[in-house]
Amino acid sequence: MAMKVVALAGNPNVGKTTVFNALTGMRQHVGNWPGVTVEKKEGVFEYEGQRFLVVDLPGTYSLTAHSVDELVARNFLLNSGPDVVVNVVDATALMRNLFLTMEILEMGVTNVVLALNKMDLAEKRGIRIDVKKLETLLGIPVVPLNAKAGIGVNDLKKRIYEMANGRIKTTPIVPKYEPDIEREITHIEGALSGTGLVTKYSPRWLAVKLLQRDDEVMKLVLRHLGKEKLDEVMTHIGEIEAKYGRAMDLIIAGQKYEFVDSLMHRFIRYTSKESSNLTDQLDRILVHPVYGFFALMLVFYAMFRFVFAVGLPIQGWLAAEFSDFGGWLAPHIASGALRGLLVDGIIGGVGAVLSFFPLVFLLFFVLAVLEDVGYMARVAVLMEKIMRKFGLPGKSVISLILGFGCNVPAVMATRTLEDERDRLVTMFVNPFIPCSARLSVISFLAGAFFKGNQALVAVSIYALAIVVALFSAWLISHFVIRGEESPFVIELPEYLLPGWKTLLLHSWERSKEFVKKAGTIILIGSIFIWYLSNYPAAIGTGKSYAERLGHIFAPYMGLMGLDWRAAVSLLFGIIAKENVISTYSIIYGVGGGEEALRGAMAGLLSPLQAYVLGVVTTLYIPCIATIGAIRAESNWKWAAFSTAYMITVASAIGILIWHIGLFLGL
Amino acid sequence: MGKIERVLSLIREGERNPAEIAGKLGMSREEVEGIIKILESMGYVERIEKGSGACETCPLRSICPGSCVRKTATVYRVTKKSFSLKQDHI
Ligand SMILES: Nc1nc2c(ncn2[C@@H]2O[C@H](COP(=O)(O)OP(=O)(O)O)[C@@H](O)[C@H]2O)c(=O)[nH]1
Repeated sequence: MAMKVVALAGNPNVGKTTVFNALTGMRQHVGNWPGVTVEKKEGVFEYEGQRFLVVDLPGTYSLTAHSVDELVARNFLLNSGPDVVVNVVDATALMRNLFLTMEILEMGVTNVVLALNKMDLAEKRGIRIDVKKLETLLGIPVVPLNAKAGIGVNDLKKRIYEMANGRIKTTPIVPKYEPDIEREITHIEGALSGTGLVTKYSPRWLAVKLLQRDDEVMKLVLRHLGKEKLDEVMTHIGEIEAKYGRAMDLIIAGQKYEFVDSLMHRFIRYTSKESSNLTDQLDRILVHPVYGFFALMLVFYAMFRFVFAVGLPIQGWLAAEFSDFGGWLAPHIASGALRGLLVDGIIGGVGAVLSFFPLVFLLFFVLAVLEDVGYMARVAVLMEKIMRKFGLPGKSVISLILGFGCNVPAVMATRTLEDERDRLVTMFVNPFIPCSARLSVISFLAGAFFKGNQALVAVSIYALAIVVALFSAWLISHFVIRGEESPFVIELPEYLLPGWKTLLLHSWERSKEFVKKAGTIILIGSIFIWYLSNYPAAIGTGKSYAERLGHIFAPYMGLMGLDWRAAVSLLFGIIAKENVISTYSIIYGVGGGEEALRGAMAGLLSPLQAYVLGVVTTLYIPCIATIGAIRAESNWKWAAFSTAYMITVASAIGILIWHIGLFLGL
Repeated sequence: MGKIERVLSLIREGERNPAEIAGKLGMSREEVEGIIKILESMGYVERIEKGSGACETCPLRSICPGSCVRKTATVYRVTKKSFSLKQDHI
């Protein structure tokens, strides 16, 4: 006997896969639907000695012919004649789920079992569903399920078995529309009656789909009944559309939805107030343009407090280890030049950067927590809200949030903006968003010079960068007139507790890249800087290339209280911001010891100078890769203009902070 | 006009936050989000792909530490199909 075929249909994420697995266990086969790259899963189960082939249809929200997924699901239901259709629905979101149920029933499919899944969640949220009433109302069997826990699965198998063997009679409900539309449906049904089409498809469904100008159904009618008949029907539809003044497509979907809505109160009851869940309550504060911003600063402050409190001791220890290693290695190397290169250049430069690994790891860990909980998405929306007030295109939000990681993909993400001018403005503002590379410099300076309030210093630099970004957005929007923005809507994920394993894995993946970067770009940079600092004569003699280079800019740096060393660091920082640390480390010739470096630097930089350096490093220029990305996404002129603007702003703010600080006697 | 059409209208008028749309129409945020999904499947709004494409083509990808943020907000933009509708009532 041929196996009976069971199709699983439903919205995405309702637990279809879970139901599928619960039904079939390990006996599954994954392939593709013919002709398309949509995954097709099949499996087998046995009940009462009878075998059933379960086919998992793609998850969809409707059965219009708009996407491949929908078409695949719809064609299977229409043409393959499954013995049983299991419509899996999410009991916590019945409106949109039953909308699809209506689409299925409207097709004239009668052998449907409704699998009411996630009953446990519904229970928890105070949603009470009267299953018996729902059954009567829909005219099909309803099986409550908790597929995750396997509860109700046997019942479902039983119902499938009964239906496949013709032991269940159904009287499926179909959605009703306004009288005007119903009249039209009857009319079209009449026009189609007696033709070969209606023996294969439900005439009502054909009529509704024609009213919605469904391409596939129009083709079908054209093929079976010819152009004349189709034209006749379509002219009629044109008339009713003109009467409504809106697209029929949407009107019919709208009325179908209202139809579902009108059923809801007859079988559902809420025992707790449904509308105000935790997500909504939190979002009222966290996405608020004013409270949200303060909350953001608070969260960042807490994050830095944690990162510094846990990370700095480890970092100090690591730095000391590098230093000891350098000290141990030095006597073993005879050649002075090689010793210098290895101990001061490589171990010194790369080691200084690498000692930040614990901080970077912790930071990525906290960021991953914030991401997984769903908070970073709120930050994006919050920033978007604020940015919009300052004239930035709303959709730049994607680009901006990527910028906290790295400005390069952030600039590239501006491609999602259709408007050329929007792209330019977003690219312009983006490099001000402090990327993760700048973070190590900020934490290096904060850790070295601000015992006790490192977190506050770090947050203030972040806040300043964001304020500068806002100001720049406001400024540039006066010069670049943007086009009308096409509207959009942002859906936020629900707050969720993170899974610790994926968190650790993810933070590790990201911080691993930090080590890779230290081993490549920073390594090469360190060798280069070491060379410039020791040739043709050692640093301190005033003759090394580095000093000569630095002295060119020294007068300018003097305006903000910094010296030639800062000039050299910032120059190398253009290649990669981490180089600011390694350069300092090499210039002071303190092999590998960030601890030692702090000591050496503490004598040379006052906290005020260190703060200015931190701010300037954050703002002064995008790194070379970001400049390249801006050029690639726009043109040389724009890249040059952005760079020049950033240097100007960074200098101005540096000078300002220095003089305000001096005035305040810091 | 039904809820589906009203949600689309509000989005077209510049409302971006499902929670605020929900407030205006007296329904829950989840329901508004469900309607957006239906609108998407009918082709009236479409999802904007995040920076993933940008991340994949990024020259710094092999050494990039921090980007390609996971679990972000989903942004849907209104499609041309919506603009072919008249917007004369609400
Ligand atoms: N609480 C609860 N969660 C469920 C249930 N069934 C599935 N899930 C969860 O819902 C999510 C989506 O399930 P999945 O089977 O992947 O959905 P699909 O997209 O429809 O295939 C997963 O996280 C499941 O663990 C259920 O009965 N109760």
